[in-house]
Amino acid sequence: MTTLKRNAIAATIAAVTAATLSFSPAVIAADTPMAKKAAAFPPLGPLPAAPIPADNPMTAEKIELGKMLFWDSRLGGDASSPCVVCHKPGKGWGDGGEISRGYPGTQHWRNAQTVLNAAFYNKLFWEGNVTSLEAQAPAAAGGNVAGNGDGSMMEMRLRFIPEYVERFKKVFGVEWPRIFLAWKAIAAFERTIVSDPKQVPFDRYMMGDKNALNDSQKHGMALFSGKAGCIQCHNGPLASDQRFYSLGVPENEVFMSEPLYQITHRWEHYQKGISEKGYRGADLDHGYYYVTKNPKDIGKFRTPSLRELKYTAPFMHNGIFYTLNEVVDFYDKGGGTTGPNKSPLIKPLGLTDQEKKDLVAFLESLSMDKPLSMASPKLPPYQPLKVAK
Amino acid sequence: MKPRNLKRIAFATSLGGLVTVSVAADLAPLPQPKFNTAMAEMGRFLFFDERLSGDAGLSCATCHNPQKGWSDGLPLSKGYPASEYFRNSPTLLNSGFKKRFMWDGRLDGADMGTLVRDMITEAHTMNMDGRLMQERLKQVPEYNAMWLKFRKDDINGMRVFNVVGEFVRSVNSKNAPIDRFLKGDQGALNGTQRAGYELFKGKAGCVACHNGPLGSDGNLHRTGVPENPAVTSEPLRHITMARYYATSGLPNYMMTHDDVGFQAISKNPKDKGKFATPSIRDLKYTAPYMHNGMLKTLDEVVDFYDKGGGSGAELKPLNLGDSEKRALVAFLESLSGDPVVVDKPKLPAYKVRAFGKN
Repeated sequence: MTTLKRNAIAATIAAVTAATLSFSPAVIAADTPMAKKAAAFPPLGPLPAAPIPADNPMTAEKIELGKMLFWDSRLGGDASSPCVVCHKPGKGWGDGGEISRGYPGTQHWRNAQTVLNAAFYNKLFWEGNVTSLEAQAPAAAGGNVAGNGDGSMMEMRLRFIPEYVERFKKVFGVEWPRIFLAWKAIAAFERTIVSDPKQVPFDRYMMGDKNALNDSQKHGMALFSGKAGCIQCHNGPLASDQRFYSLGVPENEVFMSEPLYQITHRWEHYQKGISEKGYRGADLDHGYYYVTKNPKDIGKFRTPSLRELKYTAPFMHNGIFYTLNEVVDFYDKGGGTTGPNKSPLIKPLGLTDQEKKDLVAFLESLSMDKPLSMASPKLPPYQPLKVAK
Repeated sequence: MKPRNLKRIAFATSLGGLVTVSVAADLAPLPQPKFNTAMAEMGRFLFFDERLSGDAGLSCATCHNPQKGWSDGLPLSKGYPASEYFRNSPTLLNSGFKKRFMWDGRLDGADMGTLVRDMITEAHTMNMDGRLMQERLKQVPEYNAMWLKFRKDDINGMRVFNVVGEFVRSVNSKNAPIDRFLKGDQGALNGTQRAGYELFKGKAGCVACHNGPLGSDGNLHRTGVPENPAVTSEPLRHITMARYYATSGLPNYMMTHDDVGFQAISKNPKDKGKFATPSIRDLKYTAPYMHNGMLKTLDEVVDFYDKGGGSGAELKPLNLGDSEKRALVAFLESLSGDPVVVDKPKLPAYKVRAFGKN
């Protein structure tokens, strides 16, 4: 696993946020219980520079190579499912579906998460089962309902693309491309897919532009940290504490009615190594439980970031909500009733219609003014190997 | 997949080098095939079912097409989408009687299930995860019912391979003139064919390797078939070969540009270019020939052997006359039976199951 320079990052975050975070006295009085609650959590704030693992330093050539590989369908089983198919720039770097499309002949079983700001997570996937982008890429490209690529096959394909051979040599100093280096290059590219604070109204506000948020958004911000209690989990610059909670999100109906989804649902339980009883009775996505095998973790998922929500609907691990209004309503009612271990933090909020609108307005201010788009790179062709006769 | 019984195969091969062909080897009639009917019946459906491949794009029958002699009619087989294979797809006819499987002989003929597993799960053939295959099949009620005809549990991925294998065992030659002849019907072969048979056993020496019920000794030999240039001129085929070498543990695999055959399994340079003797039954339906499809007709094959094979062959020139060659080809054709055709069944569809009752 990569080693993050945690202290350096924390210091950066503290420097940025301490200087900028202050709630308008008109919105929260300093001595109210609301303010005390907010103060107990790492504050929201503009994102610092993305952490770079010491064993995968960024270079322009590596990022460029990673971008090509992100688009290259030869990293996958039948050349149909490159990273970009489920992480499209035009769909907020997700795929816009409730549940990701998955590999041909299959269905995935969870929502494709945005790549935007994935650089800031220390756990990836909805169940947090990998701890770096370098480990996420092969899990997706090789997952049987995702890319279904065989590592040795994908590696050999790269070796028959002379431009890649040259680029790997230049970037990594190797004679032949290695598949684990491809994942490093992709991870480096993904660390450039981050929100630009200058484009994010909330970030501009925190950096001193008091007109960057309107009154409704400012009120929503106060609710976020106060009455609505969102900040209990959605905190820090990423607006995620990267911990695991069960909210009782309803199961997506497709698992009851669509054979391909049922196949994947059973397969996931089979291959994740749970008991036969668990497999036979599986009627719920158990989330973090598959990692810990601790019954107390059934139904828990890692808190997602709230940045760029404007571009990343539908929401939740199974894409069950299409709008932020639905999401806010869900929390206002005190979450759902599906599955065990519901977090005690999820309680009815008693928000008024205006408060809900303000909260949604604030959430939208965490997205960039325009989506982060990107043109497809030109991909180099296969060539026969030079065979000495 | 790792080769099974590697030591045993290597040992048998080295022994093979010592055994002389003074033993009166001969062809033999095809024995009665043995298989479990209920398993073979389910296997017949699975054989044609594309849902046994990763992207549901191809079935066993794609490269082992009953209409094409249970092969694909191509010099080099296609393989999984976005890949191309580097060897010829062999016919499946009479596979139940083989001593070893695959052109490089890496699998034991007694283990049909492992052969099927390899084909279904290998990245360059069907690229299927066995557990996902299991869950796909469990989504088809008709398959659950077929399973219960021979087992009391529910569909298990590891056992599915044997079910397909049982169907393959049921696919055998029918009514070949040679079988009638060997059982005493002298009229089953005409005069030319009988003369060809004498050459086969005598001057041409074919019987040294092509003997027994399949016309194969099940051993590995070097005949010096020329490399198929498409393997290195077409990157997708070279990728498949180099990746196969890499996963087999062959040293220097990026610089190995020939098909080394059994060497990739034994790692012994002396085994370079050795391939398993194929059956000579049903050749009428299974052109082109050799491990890389380099010979298009039986005339070409006979000419090839007449010249003593290719570079490095364990063979000698035969000096056959034209009429002898014709007799030999006529005899080889008498080893083909009636076409064995199995039609693709109507495949049952996925159905919704009660969620949480698995």
